[in-house]
Amino acid sequence: MNSLHTYLFIALVLFCIGLFGLLKRRSLIGMLISVELMLNAVGLNFMAFNRFLAPDPAVGQVAVLFIMGIAAAEAAIALSLILALFRKIRSINVEQARQLKG
Amino acid sequence: MTPVAPNGGELSLALLAMGLPLLSFFLVFFVTRPRVTLSCAVSLVCSGLPLLAAIWLLAGHWRMEAPILWELTWMRGGGVAVTFGFLLDPLSLLMLCIVTGVSFLVQVYSLGYMAGDPGKAKYYAFLSLFAWSMISLVLASGLMQLYIFWELVGLSSYLLIGFWHHKFSASQAGKKAFVMTRLGDLGFFLGIIVLLLNLGDLSILGLNQQAATRLTPGLLTASALLIFCGVVGKSAQFPLLTWLPDAMEGPTPVSALLHSATMVAAGVYLVSRLFPFFQGSPQALGWVLVIGTVTMLLSSTMAMVASDIKQVWAYSTVSQLGFMFMGLGAGGYFAGVYHLTTHAAFKALLFLCSGVFIHHYATNDFFVMARSGARSLKVPMLSLTVAGAALSGVWPLAGFFSKETVLSALAELPNPAWLWLGLLGAGLTAYYTFRLLFVMWRPRRTQPPAGHAEHGEGGHHGAAVYWVMAAPLLVLAVLTALLGAAGPALESFLAWGRPLPPGAHHGWLVAASVVVVAAGAGLAWLEFGRAGAAQQGFLSRIPGLWNLFANRWYLDWLYRWLLDHVVYGLFSRLFTLNDRRVVDGGIDGFCRATLGAGWLLSLLQSGLLQYNLFTMVLVMALVGLYFLLV
Repeated sequence: MNSLHTYLFIALVLFCIGLFGLLKRRSLIGMLISVELMLNAVGLNFMAFNRFLAPDPAVGQVAVLFIMGIAAAEAAIALSLILALFRKIRSINVEQARQLKG
Repeated sequence: MTPVAPNGGELSLALLAMGLPLLSFFLVFFVTRPRVTLSCAVSLVCSGLPLLAAIWLLAGHWRMEAPILWELTWMRGGGVAVTFGFLLDPLSLLMLCIVTGVSFLVQVYSLGYMAGDPGKAKYYAFLSLFAWSMISLVLASGLMQLYIFWELVGLSSYLLIGFWHHKFSASQAGKKAFVMTRLGDLGFFLGIIVLLLNLGDLSILGLNQQAATRLTPGLLTASALLIFCGVVGKSAQFPLLTWLPDAMEGPTPVSALLHSATMVAAGVYLVSRLFPFFQGSPQALGWVLVIGTVTMLLSSTMAMVASDIKQVWAYSTVSQLGFMFMGLGAGGYFAGVYHLTTHAAFKALLFLCSGVFIHHYATNDFFVMARSGARSLKVPMLSLTVAGAALSGVWPLAGFFSKETVLSALAELPNPAWLWLGLLGAGLTAYYTFRLLFVMWRPRRTQPPAGHAEHGEGGHHGAAVYWVMAAPLLVLAVLTALLGAAGPALESFLAWGRPLPPGAHHGWLVAASVVVVAAGAGLAWLEFGRAGAAQQGFLSRIPGLWNLFANRWYLDWLYRWLLDHVVYGLFSRLFTLNDRRVVDGGIDGFCRATLGAGWLLSLLQSGLLQYNLFTMVLVMALVGLYFLLV
């Protein structure tokens, strides 16, 4: 069982959970968490390919470190946007933020 | 005939004649306008020097054997080059002398006539512009150059006819002249385009030498007729003749210039200029003959009932132009040009004389002038008589000889009807001219003579003004008397000095024309001249004809009707409809379609973030699927 397919399968499951959460949750915090899940699924993929296939182990790890950095930055920006939105409409529910409706 | 290049003297003289009036226009209009005397001096010098240059050129080339051509290429496209330059041959030299001579005399005369007019400097600027356009038209070497100056002549006559623009009738007359001649010029321009497309050569020498062989007869006739359209407008021929009688709203010296040497003469000049080209198409010459005849008869009848002295001369100009076209149409190149020459002298004289009377008595009605004692002005009265006699063709004045050549040209035609119509026209001319002369010489004192207080703005300006105006009259009167003798010399000059073909000299024709003129003059004597005559023409007993002639054969009424019903009623309405429905409607529809499409697309925006996300994921999944499968 300790093969590439196991990790890829777990990453797929994680990604799909994240995607489902992103589309399903109406709370912006929930959507942010789902995005984190998807990012981590991608990171897991990188690590798995790195462990089983890559001749030079450093490459995949560098990519994952980048993803973690980007995730942190993205979380900071997203949280500040959410705060700004909350100040404006006193809610973080996306159903309340429909001012751009055509 | 291959043209030769000009030598230095010819080049500088011709360029001097073409350039000085323009220089004078700019100087007077932009620099010296506030200083009236200086402006007049500049303008006079700049019209006197071209006259000297013209006489010098004419005298120096009296026996010329080849035309002198000088050209610069203005623009070149494809195989076509549009050139600017000058062409000196007997016709253009003769015409150059006429134009510069008459415009110089008119400028001298205007010193007196326009004395005290607030716009005198501007008037002189316009006269210079007029002279420049006409001189350049006369010397033009190509049809495109000729056309440009043709339009400039139209522009300057518009400016001068409407010179007293505060008078509503004057500004209307200026507009009428401009628009009606423009109507004909449209045809002229189309003719030029036809020639440009089919021949690719617009030089006058080229057209005269090659057009007949290089164009198909149909195209030749079409282009000749289109060019003749422009001539009809410019020379006030039927059906575009009513602008010229109205053009007397301008100052009288302007009428003299307009009627003799510049504006209307341009049309006759163009046909003479392109005479070999026109000769290539007998149909076109036939139309020239027909239009000339119709015009001559129509306008002669109009002149028989007019009581405005300038209007009588205006109608007579139209009819004499018709006479020239009859001569040209009958194939008499010399007849047309010779009559143009003599007509320029005596018609300028007639108008300038009338100007003296109008200036003196502040009225245009010659019955009133006569009653006020017009006989006492000796010089203008005698000049008027000489010019009037020349106009009606009395021996030994210039008009007799030139009319004779036209009638001989008509006699050459197989159909004798043209000659009879020409003789009828000559009789009518004699009738209306002598009618005016007898009224002027033998006034009826049915009313007390008008007091001097009524003379108004025209008024007396003293002897100096009178003699400034009388001097050009004397010069022109001498010319009118002498030009008749110059006929044979001019004929051989215009024929390049070659021996003339033995002309069929019709002795009986001289007798016939003398009889006709005597009949016209005799009728006028019976009705206006003899003691106790009622001074009412036989036409006043036929109200139907009187009204027809006095209303110019209802031509103006016809134009009004055409304007109201065809132009405004049909074209303007269609164009308005097109403007409102098609142009405006198209733009409105486009705007509405954009708005609607925007509204439709905005329905896609639900405002919910996750729908957008879902669409994005879906599209990416589909794209992924596509790459996976294909």
